[in-house]
Amino acid sequence: PSGQRITQKPLFLCKPFVTSQLVKGSFSTIVVLPRYVDQGEWLALNLFEFFDMLNKFYGVVQEFCTPQACPSMSAGPGLDYSWLDANKKPLRLPATTYIEYVLQWISNRINDESIFPTKANPSTTTAVNAPSSSVSSSPAGAAGTAGQTWIGKEGGFPPNFYVTCKAIYKQMFRVFAHIYHTHFAKIVHMSLEAHFNSFFAHFIHFARAFELLERRDIEPLRPLIDSFEEQGLFKDNERSREQ
Amino acid sequence: QASGSLKDDYVVFPRDDSTFSSSTRERAKALKVKVELHYNQSVAYAVERNQRRVELEQDIVGEGKMSEERKKRRRQQLGKQESSFLRLRRMRLHADDFVTVKVIGKGAFGEVRLVQKRDTGKIYAMKTLLKSEMFKKDQLAHVKAERDVLADSDSPWVVNLFYSFQDAVYLYLIMEFLPGGDLMTMLIKYEIFGEDVTRFYMAQCVLAIEAVHKLGFIHRDIKPDNILIDKDGHIKLSDFGLSTGFHKTHDQKYYQRLLEGSSNTPETSNNRARNSVMVDAIHLTVSNRNQINTWRKSRRLMAYSTVGTPDYIAPEIFLNKGYGQECDWWSLGTIMFECLVGWPPFCAEDAHETYRKIVNWQSQLYFPEEIILSPEAEDLIRGLITSSDKRLGKRGADEIKAHPFFNGVNWDSLRSIEAPFKPNLSSITDTSYFPTEELENVPTAPALAAVMAEGNSQQQLAIGEETGLPFIGYTYKRFEHLKKSGGL
Ligand SMILES: Nc1ncnc2c1ncn2[C@@H]1O[C@H](COP(=O)(O)OP(=O)(O)OP(=O)(O)O)[C@@H](O)[C@H]1O
Repeated sequence: PSGQRITQKPLFLCKPFVTSQLVKGSFSTIVVLPRYVDQGEWLALNLFEFFDMLNKFYGVVQEFCTPQACPSMSAGPGLDYSWLDANKKPLRLPATTYIEYVLQWISNRINDESIFPTKANPSTTTAVNAPSSSVSSSPAGAAGTAGQTWIGKEGGFPPNFYVTCKAIYKQMFRVFAHIYHTHFAKIVHMSLEAHFNSFFAHFIHFARAFELLERRDIEPLRPLIDSFEEQGLFKDNERSREQ
Repeated sequence: QASGSLKDDYVVFPRDDSTFSSSTRERAKALKVKVELHYNQSVAYAVERNQRRVELEQDIVGEGKMSEERKKRRRQQLGKQESSFLRLRRMRLHADDFVTVKVIGKGAFGEVRLVQKRDTGKIYAMKTLLKSEMFKKDQLAHVKAERDVLADSDSPWVVNLFYSFQDAVYLYLIMEFLPGGDLMTMLIKYEIFGEDVTRFYMAQCVLAIEAVHKLGFIHRDIKPDNILIDKDGHIKLSDFGLSTGFHKTHDQKYYQRLLEGSSNTPETSNNRARNSVMVDAIHLTVSNRNQINTWRKSRRLMAYSTVGTPDYIAPEIFLNKGYGQECDWWSLGTIMFECLVGWPPFCAEDAHETYRKIVNWQSQLYFPEEIILSPEAEDLIRGLITSSDKRLGKRGADEIKAHPFFNGVNWDSLRSIEAPFKPNLSSITDTSYFPTEELENVPTAPALAAVMAEGNSQQQLAIGEETGLPFIGYTYKRFEHLKKSGGL
């Protein structure tokens, strides 16, 4: 039966839903790195917020994402993601199990103080109270990284911070892909499509600004992203660049 | 699934979520609100951030000759503040992040503690509220909106709210700590004030209440326990939005029952027992020190009880006839009476009797002969404790400000003048203006005790667990407040 499905356009690419947006105007106002702000802090906050909301979006389709209805983590015809176990062996899991694993995995990272520190940053505090003191001392200055620099170094994020962000982003994308391809009708029934589209457009805009997704990662939703592009959703607005 | 013409890609899709479980529908509703709030807030954050940067650049220009090095440092400093603020937005505060120094207040749904934030060492007042109790009343969403506006107001007359967060059981409010205690404690200590001192507190209250009214709100619960004293001895109105509305003191049915005389709920009979020493409040005189002191003791116990004290509530509120902002001016009148006379005008043996007196205020308002008040003071009190249509302040606070009792008050500089009592503090965690010892003996409210007995206060929210619609967006943090308080 899959032969026939391929020719049928998925619901999320059909009008009026493909053009349904909660947020009007360009996302760049809230995507572009604010001036003078630590990039690590910006990535951390945004990932945190994307995760929180994605979690909630999955929460509204969860009751339909059963092992029977979604025996695999599919993202459109012919595409099933597999989960790599501890030995990197690919496992085919029901979507609900896969997503549960993903969300838990991300949650563990986002709540890990050594990757996403949340407590008052000692170097920041001293620097604000005593502006004359040196700002270069980084608490994450692990052995062997002394002379190096990396995204988030100043804010006390570890050297692998950016790589971790990318890995998280890649998995979050897959959850979007599964919801769009399998549960979008439910989203529409609940009148959430404008919210979900805007959330996804924001997610992609942010990924582009900080190169968090590889070209091949986004394949399952490329037509949607292209459509958003045509609709002008990713246009940079000059003024927001100045932030 | 998608049907219709493929040519124009347009589908007709009848929406129907009636077969979805109610919990899914609830989640969807909550999510909608959350997403909308999130984008509105994100844009607001960006706009505010931009403003701060523009202000800094103007500062730099304004200061004339500034070395490049210094300019760079200023910008770096702003960057650090902004970065810390981003981090705060990511922070999931937990009760464990605060160390309790002392319990400084108790209420029906929780406690107020002096706490220290573990990582920064900063001092705050933390109010805990039992969510289960709050859910019972449906006014919460509206109450939350009030609270947010007031938190946003940045008014010097309202206690600042810095953060709020929740776990499965409690809602936590982290506020600025006002070390001077409250007006109730002060009245218990000094018994009565002279007219000059009274003028100072009343004038400050007028401005505070006016500030609340200007924001479009009615406090409804102005009483000496809610008038807090800051480190300079100036007053601020305590956080109220959250509690107002689900206290029994605002429950129409409860008033109705009281007025009908069926006041034998366990709480009121307790109060009756505590108050039983006092025979007839109205004939208390200054010479009856013991009796007054007994009243004061029970007064404080009353403040800790679920019932709360009805002494300061305007008659129209519990006569269920509708009420407006002027109800707060009535409360002010009763507090002024208490400051000058030593007890509130309608105090009585039990709540029921107090209600009866308030409703019959015309025959019950009585100025004891042995206490000499100036004609201006008495006239102002009578102007406030009167029917709502004739009440001073009905047409705005200016009516009250113009009253002869306030002659000579400079309304514009009121917050900067020397206060009559300035707390004498030995440290930032000095709690000598709070009845901390007494509080240790105050029994925990029944609802609270039940929760503690169940031992689920440690319960954590699991990932994805719903936190309930009314609390969405309740994780509140605000840059200006944090910066001013040195939280950044
Ligand atoms: N920010 C604060 N700083 C210092 N003390 C406070 C603060 N907030 C409250 N308190 C103390 O705790 C007492 C009780 O607080 P509050 O009146 O807010 O709680 P409640 O009685 O539970 O609620 P409500 O006022 O709504 O009836 C106050 O009378 C005051 O002494």
